Amino acid sequence: MSVRHTKFYRDKRNGKWMGVCAGIADYTGVDVTLIRIGFVLATVLGGSGIVVVAYLVAGWMAPVKPRELAYQSAEEAKFWQGVRASPARTVRDVRSRFRDIDRRLADVETYVTSSNGRLAREIEQLR
Amino acid sequence: METQPLFVVVMVIGILGILFIGLPWLIFHYVTRWKSQATLTNEDEKLLDELHDLARRLDDRMCSIERIMSADNPNWRQVACDPAETGLEALGAPSQTRRIGQ
Repeated sequence: MSVRHTKFYRDKRNGKWMGVCAGIADYTGVDVTLIRIGFVLATVLGGSGIVVVAYLVAGWMAPVKPRELAYQSAEEAKFWQGVRASPARTVRDVRSRFRDIDRRLADVETYVTSSNGRLAREIEQLR
Repeated sequence: METQPLFVVVMVIGILGILFIGLPWLIFHYVTRWKSQATLTNEDEKLLDELHDLARRLDDRMCSIERIMSADNPNWRQVACDPAETGLEALGAPSQTRRIGQ
């Protein structure tokens, strides 16, 4: 079983205690402070210990994020958050990027081929 | 009167059967279906990662090519859009003729 980007991990390096809130923030892309505030509010207002139990269960069950999954850039982090939220949309995004590249390359190709033809015609006229 | 306990026993067994076999069966059936549908497989994930990386690199290369082309000829996009009308002659010709005329 290799490491995967689409699983939930605890983010202990950015976390306060067990890294569950930081893990949720890393998983969803929501700001970690908002999630912490949400947890505290749910604990205080909810009254029951369900939130605390859920936190402890998540902290006990979820593995710590492997070192090799650390993102090199913010763009990469955003990409994987998009994949986790909706794989289909991410695939469409990647396809649209390829289409964009194709279109730009076609522009360059048209320019190069047409200007070559133009150059050949001008040389012919000079003869 | 003697059939009533037997009926109750059968009913209890039936309910217990539904509760402990039927219900988990139903749940696991949908769990497995949901798992096979909603998530990416490991190969899908690798493929997507690779394609994303490839798109980014191609994007960078296209950007550098476009920069080189723009440095070479700032209005190359117009030439590419409409090679017959605008472009080298239309924008280059007046200055050239003037230069030749002078």
